[in-house]
Amino acid sequence: MSTMRLSRYSLLFMLMLPCIGVWAEPAKLADVIIPDSPEALKRGAQTAVGTCMGCHDLKYITYHDLLALGFTKKEVDEMRGEHTLGTALMSQTPPEAGLAAYGKIPPDLSLMAKAREGGPRYIYTLLTSFYQDAVGNTNNRLFPGVKMPDILGAGAANDPAAQHELQTKAAEVAAFLNWAADPHANERHHIGYYAVGYLIVLTGLLYLLKRRIWRRIAPPSTSLPSSKSDF
Amino acid sequence: MSNRVIAWIDQRFPLSSFIKHELTEYPTPRNLSYWWNFGFLAGFVLVLQVVSGLFLAMHYKPDTALAFDSVQHIMRNVNYGWLLRYMHSTGASAFFVVIYLHMARTLYYGSYRAPRELMWWSGQIILLTIMATAFMGYLLPWGQMSYWGAQVITALFGATPFVGDQIVIWLRGGFAVGDPTLTRFFALHYLLPFVIFAMVFIHLIALHSVKSSNPSGINLRAKDNIPFHPYFTIKDFFGLGIFLIVFCAFLFFKPDFFIGTENNIPANPLHTPTHIEPEWYFLPFYAILRAVPDALGGAVAMALSILIYGALPYLDRSKIPGGARYRPIYRLLFYIFVLDIMVLAYVGGQPPVGPVVSINRIATFIYFGVFLVLPFASIWEERWLRARGLPPAVQEILANEASQHGARQ
Amino acid sequence: MTASSDDGNAPQDPARRDFLGTVTAAVATAGAVAACWPFISSMNPSTDVLAEANTEVDLSGIAAGQMQTVAWQGKPIFILHRTPDEITAMAASNGGKDPQPDGQRVKNPQWLVVIALCTHMGCIPNKNSEGWLCPCHGSVYDNSGRILSGPAPRNLDIPPYTFATADKIVIGKS
Repeated sequence: MSTMRLSRYSLLFMLMLPCIGVWAEPAKLADVIIPDSPEALKRGAQTAVGTCMGCHDLKYITYHDLLALGFTKKEVDEMRGEHTLGTALMSQTPPEAGLAAYGKIPPDLSLMAKAREGGPRYIYTLLTSFYQDAVGNTNNRLFPGVKMPDILGAGAANDPAAQHELQTKAAEVAAFLNWAADPHANERHHIGYYAVGYLIVLTGLLYLLKRRIWRRIAPPSTSLPSSKSDF
Repeated sequence: MSNRVIAWIDQRFPLSSFIKHELTEYPTPRNLSYWWNFGFLAGFVLVLQVVSGLFLAMHYKPDTALAFDSVQHIMRNVNYGWLLRYMHSTGASAFFVVIYLHMARTLYYGSYRAPRELMWWSGQIILLTIMATAFMGYLLPWGQMSYWGAQVITALFGATPFVGDQIVIWLRGGFAVGDPTLTRFFALHYLLPFVIFAMVFIHLIALHSVKSSNPSGINLRAKDNIPFHPYFTIKDFFGLGIFLIVFCAFLFFKPDFFIGTENNIPANPLHTPTHIEPEWYFLPFYAILRAVPDALGGAVAMALSILIYGALPYLDRSKIPGGARYRPIYRLLFYIFVLDIMVLAYVGGQPPVGPVVSINRIATFIYFGVFLVLPFASIWEERWLRARGLPPAVQEILANEASQHGARQ
Repeated sequence: MTASSDDGNAPQDPARRDFLGTVTAAVATAGAVAACWPFISSMNPSTDVLAEANTEVDLSGIAAGQMQTVAWQGKPIFILHRTPDEITAMAASNGGKDPQPDGQRVKNPQWLVVIALCTHMGCIPNKNSEGWLCPCHGSVYDNSGRILSGPAPRNLDIPPYTFATADKIVIGKS
């Protein structure tokens, strides 16, 4: 009996083997905790709108969505100017200008936190990995030869205070873009706790009911060989 | 009142007798383990996919210019659209999990053997239809992996002798995967579930004709059968509860686990991602495809790797009941086979360089080797087991069946 | 084939109702009903539609005696800049078969804002100097959008709107 149970568990274990590769994440990324407080997200949004949106679009995010992020109606009205609430956050630079300046159209940022392995950590690492090489050219450790300029000034942040400010800013931008890629994550987790909790209660009840119903019948009456240990 | 309504219906339609015959009095072996839950679960997931898919189709637009945006519209703007979409994408993986476990149970207990060949074959057709549906559905979000997956798989048909190129162009409706491909994949993705429903119906009619197999592999005496309802309805529902807990854990907390990062980038026909691989449920077959250095040979090997299951009722020559349970050699082959599939799934997801290529080929060789060895192993094993002496109960049942069989002739 | 009652192991009445069964069924039903809600809700207007639920209109470009048609939630809205003569005429009248004082139909007598759908069958009435004439079945409305004659049962409906500034209105609930 125990060998049978063991073999069943080993089967389950084997079924899980292919998952191991999926969990491995690139080790190059900075080990950073991405903040999730509403204030950090709002500051990240302001940095993103003021800095990133110089070149990049956030075409799946509208001014209306910013209300859900905690901006007041008045703040959003100031940001949108003449645009309606349903307008997407589009860059001030037309794509042709981006193409001319950098050789490629700056990618849309709405899904960036989902479109790279490591998500927000990738964004944080990219923003903080700029440096000046020996000749004085700016390059990036995570993405050598990246076309994007060192927009947060990582290459020039030499003293601890400037370093700290840079890291906070990059983490906040990463947090905002993480929200932008998955704006319903909080709601999803919230509903998830209730759903899984409910299912555990229901399954517990079903188990009790199952045991009770099955108690009505006695064990099999025939002398079936009960396990493979007969052989 | 309700009695009168039922009586009214029963005069015109066999409702009561149907429920009695197929549910409340449907005889089911009492010794079924939880491995017999997965058929019911597969039916549940099928309904879940059809319902969530129907509501997604109300918002999705099968047009290359709009498809990616419409999925983002569903994920962001539609009320609970994220729930519908994640339900559908997680449901696709869940479907293959329960189907593969259902098949593993059938293999382990030898449930495919006479008289259940038609169940096995109808199940094979269901599996193939589900694979086609999943493949076409994967193109619909129009991400990078969607596009290049469809591009590679449709290109496989180019290996067909003489008319390969024409077939590929016909499948795509163009020289590359494009708008015509997306629209037809959407049409077929909506159609095929109805075909699956029809096949499931046939699968169930066959089941209710031959009845469930059971862990002992022996057709039980009448008194060892119990009514399906309430014993197995409650057991199935308890199993469903466990399944839903796991399903919801993924759905609410790790929904992107089954969606690759590349698929969050819109399809770009001018740029192939550095590493493309199919969804996890196709990896073993994809590995077999890559194992053969020749394009046609690879496509044939892959097709064969799925179709060969249909021959199992004839490849397994043993009359010893109970599948792997009373057959040590068969059990060994089963575990080798399952482990081999795991290895194939792993190498299928790795870039084909270095040792991966050799492991891939060896694992493919073992995959087909198990099927080839089975006829000889099963005959030899039966001879050996009989010489060693079967347990009295099994002997008695085998003798009983043999005499009944002889009397009928 | 089935468990017969004489083998001593027969189950008791499988349909026997008990407390545990009732509770489990109730909990399961509640969950199933709750699970329907996301599907039903997904057919309601999505947030991007709701984000455009209000329409802002700049009134400064509409001269006295002129009318502009704007879209609000997919419906046409007439915005009529009434002349002093029209204002006096409308204030003096109480309409026709659905009497209503003009003062109840406007926030600022200069501006009449009505939903441009005939209350009979939903056609869009045509403007003339006296008011509107519906091309479908001949309903006649005055310059306050009140029904004077024809098959329409009610006056033209007034959408919710507010004056954001003196020459800017926001149509829709704020």
